[in-house]
Amino acid sequence: MNYSQYVVHSPQNLNEALGILKEKASEIRLISGGTDVMVLIKDNIIKEKELLNLSFLNELRYIHEEGNTIKIGALITYKELEKSKVVNLNAPILVDASKTIGAAQIQNLGTLAGNLGNASPAGDSIPPLYVLNASVKLQSADSERVVPVSEFFLGPRKTKRAPNELITEIAIEKTKPGLYYFFKKLGLREANAISLVSVACIADLDQYKKVNSIKLALGAVAPTVMFAVKSEKLATDKQLDLNLVDEIARSVSEEISPITDIRGSAEYRRRAAYGLVYEGLYEVLMGTAKRVSGSFEGVY
Amino acid sequence: MEEELEQKYKSITRSVAAIDSQSKVSGALKYITDMRIENMLFASVVRSTYAHARIISIDTREAEKISGVKAILTYKDIPGLNAYGAIVPDAPVLAYDRVRYYGEPVALVAADTEELAREAASLVKIEYDPLPVIRSIDESIASEAIALHDNGNIARHTIIKKGDTERAKREAYMTLDRIYRTPFQKHMFLEPEGGVAYIDESGIINVFAGGQSPYRDKLQIARSLNIPPEKIRTVNYPTGGAFGGKDDITVQIHLALLAYKTGKPVKLWFSREESGVAGYHRTGSEIHLITSVDKEGTLLSNEAQIYLDTGAYQSFGPTILDVSIETINGPYRIPNYIINANLVYTNNGFSSAFRGFGAPESNFAIESMINELASELHLDPIDMRLKNILMTGEEGPFGNTIRHGDGLREALMRAKNSKIWNSVIQNKKPWQRSGVGIAVAIKGVGFGTLPDYPTAAIEIATEGKVKIMFSNVDYGQGINTGNAQLVAEKMDIPLNQVEVRHADTKYSPDTGSSSASRSTFASGNALLLACSKALDRLKMEACFYFGVTSEKLEYKEGRFYYNDRSVGIYELAKSLKARGETLRFESTFEVPRYPAPVEGTLEVPHVVYMYGVLLSSAVLDELIGNIHINQAEFYADIGTVINPSIASGQIEGGIVQGLGYATTEDLKYDVNGKPINNNYTTYIVPSVRDVPDIYVEFIDSLEELGPYGAKGVGEISIIPVGASVAHAVYNASGKWIRDLPLLPWKVI
Repeated sequence: MNYSQYVVHSPQNLNEALGILKEKASEIRLISGGTDVMVLIKDNIIKEKELLNLSFLNELRYIHEEGNTIKIGALITYKELEKSKVVNLNAPILVDASKTIGAAQIQNLGTLAGNLGNASPAGDSIPPLYVLNASVKLQSADSERVVPVSEFFLGPRKTKRAPNELITEIAIEKTKPGLYYFFKKLGLREANAISLVSVACIADLDQYKKVNSIKLALGAVAPTVMFAVKSEKLATDKQLDLNLVDEIARSVSEEISPITDIRGSAEYRRRAAYGLVYEGLYEVLMGTAKRVSGSFEGVY
Repeated sequence: MEEELEQKYKSITRSVAAIDSQSKVSGALKYITDMRIENMLFASVVRSTYAHARIISIDTREAEKISGVKAILTYKDIPGLNAYGAIVPDAPVLAYDRVRYYGEPVALVAADTEELAREAASLVKIEYDPLPVIRSIDESIASEAIALHDNGNIARHTIIKKGDTERAKREAYMTLDRIYRTPFQKHMFLEPEGGVAYIDESGIINVFAGGQSPYRDKLQIARSLNIPPEKIRTVNYPTGGAFGGKDDITVQIHLALLAYKTGKPVKLWFSREESGVAGYHRTGSEIHLITSVDKEGTLLSNEAQIYLDTGAYQSFGPTILDVSIETINGPYRIPNYIINANLVYTNNGFSSAFRGFGAPESNFAIESMINELASELHLDPIDMRLKNILMTGEEGPFGNTIRHGDGLREALMRAKNSKIWNSVIQNKKPWQRSGVGIAVAIKGVGFGTLPDYPTAAIEIATEGKVKIMFSNVDYGQGINTGNAQLVAEKMDIPLNQVEVRHADTKYSPDTGSSSASRSTFASGNALLLACSKALDRLKMEACFYFGVTSEKLEYKEGRFYYNDRSVGIYELAKSLKARGETLRFESTFEVPRYPAPVEGTLEVPHVVYMYGVLLSSAVLDELIGNIHINQAEFYADIGTVINPSIASGQIEGGIVQGLGYATTEDLKYDVNGKPINNNYTTYIVPSVRDVPDIYVEFIDSLEELGPYGAKGVGEISIIPVGASVAHAVYNASGKWIRDLPLLPWKVI
């Protein structure tokens, strides 16, 4: 760990940052909250010798509401998401997930954009972003494009972000009031735990518990966070009952492709994914799962 | 009862705040690894990248070329014995012909900066010839296994017997045959191993390092440097956590050697990962029990085959094995037993002392066995224990006389009547299963039959303070506060008049190590003797002052009274000082022990035992397998409680550390013997959110041999956690898990 060997660039605005990035591209490492990068530096496993410190780009520190969309600037931290009325009201699943990330110290510094950029299959904010139909805005000095989050990841630690691009904004869809949602994560302890499996779900049920539509995204069970597409299809337009809950959970556990690593075996991850999905959907069926409130009451 | 105690004592049995708490909370306290000395060098250790290999050559030439490097030392630079180890010095200070664990020290570098030291260390070239890596007890004892040491792979083997187990088994109603396994456990103290060393103007090598045993460290340093111990000073306060992992040598010899060779101050401080790789861990265990009972649940015999994995070297292994022997029969009346105990070398790092010292390993086996037997016999596990525990005055399993079995009986009765033992838990979700588990713990205080003569001193300082000196280290457990309370009580002075001189061989006499739950018993008793000595002398001076004989005097609140006249101890100290007399009083306590150990052991049995009963309540998610321990109750017999809040904190801390051991901590070595999980991200210790509601109750108890009736507290609560939680999980799931930790995939 030798911090002094790094050249740190601290641009004061986005244009300046994109200019530096255009010039340095893959020779420079992006850093904002530093909750991932500092660990890599400490362990001496990053190849770049220059850092692009994004902390001063205050123009990326915002949460805007635009119709059915919430636009989140790249510098927004988990703690800011947790405190945001707009997000609590319209995308509470992201709040629930943010509260499980690391512990208070990590939540105070870590950013949503950083979690995307880091591209860990176990990143806990990512499954909620999938089910929120999020998109990622990538800007370079010369261009700008928007990529759906479900297409953003190419593999563990690999994304579509080009070396000269910066994630500047994440857009999420508001969840309709009344929809059920849950985020469940299995770690080996209650805080500062890396997920063995995580599940995000938003379900639209009619008053008779028939599934109009359902989104199910899973973390830490494939090279990238994934939608359980087959299981979603299986559930759609069906009457939710205990049999269907079991069927969907079983389908999810078959659909994922977990690996065995230091935290747990592939076989166990399948069982745990079954359990998490079963429990979440059971609560939806029983009406004890959380629902999007659509009003300011109950948020604060 | 509590009110009665309140009246009986002024300073003890009270929850005063730890005397160093303010400086810790405010951050004013500088830990030893915070120390910086002008012009100090930074050291880095060149460590083995093989778990088992011959060293062909060590080439330091490239490293020497780095400017700013002041020393590169190898085994050739060690003036004295190139070995250390608290019981048997079998671990090289710097490896010379062979390395036996991944991370073993091979060379030392000291340079002007940390970065230069690291860079130079990375340039030391070591050529190895890899040898087969022994990764388990089974591999170690296999006939074709390569010998890790000249004496083979079994560092110690012993058999202890009583009665006739074969006959007992034949006559038994039921015999269960089970194998229990426990993992290594890392200490994970917040302050990793580290310290500084420098040579002062009088030529003394000063070694400040996190540690638990300043005098033993001093002897081990002297032996390797080949200099007299009086040329070395060791200081251990303040140490940021120890748990046994700093009881033997960590950085002390390396630091002293570098200071000695360079003549400059040197700092050496492990990173978390370095501590994870090269620091000590608890012995792993495999214990085979064959235990017999009659129909009513009376224990008839216990056959135990104990294997402890000491890793590459012994450190405290031989005595850890003794404690595992001593606790494998629990606190029970077992007329027939045979214990076949083995300490085994492997290439799995390096085992040493860890809170409980062999007892958690054995406890998991015997207490799980008792729970299994009770379950098979359809007996209440508390009733079965009540039937079998040894009572006051009975002969214990090792020829000892049980002093306080009544305390354990009372603890069990309170557990039996507790709310969590008697309530039916309502599960909130259909996939939840709940269960309550129980285990009993016993642990000797101190070193058993080994000679133990702790010495402590007090000084009556004329400025109005009583200074107390002992070598037990306050590494967070609160011994400084407890001892200050004892002295305040004995001297009948306010606590703020007592000042603790921290563990420092320059001032503190040798009270022995801070280990084996012995500090209160050992230094407390020695200090009380020193107080008596001081009071006797001061009383004579008061006689002189009043011109009367001693029986006319009364002592109260720091003053001697003769009718309506009085004189204070500090005034008397002044007059003694004016005549050039000493104001320092030193005493040695003879720790009561049996004259000789049971044949085949080194230190079995003890005279004084602590007891505890742990109830734990688990909620199991049967779909996922994860366990949440939401409640724990601990009933403790630790004698008089000097400071209830500190003692309770110790018990709570032990339970939480035990929960990590029982449920998530799983130190693993890969095929090459390299530890896989060496930091807080991968080695899962509980977080604050994992801590259950913990209720601690102390049994009214008085150990006549202890200071004001105290025994000890540090280790007792970690010991029963594994068995208690495994029992709770059984009651929740119907599944006995016999290998810790209880990871979710083992549970479902």
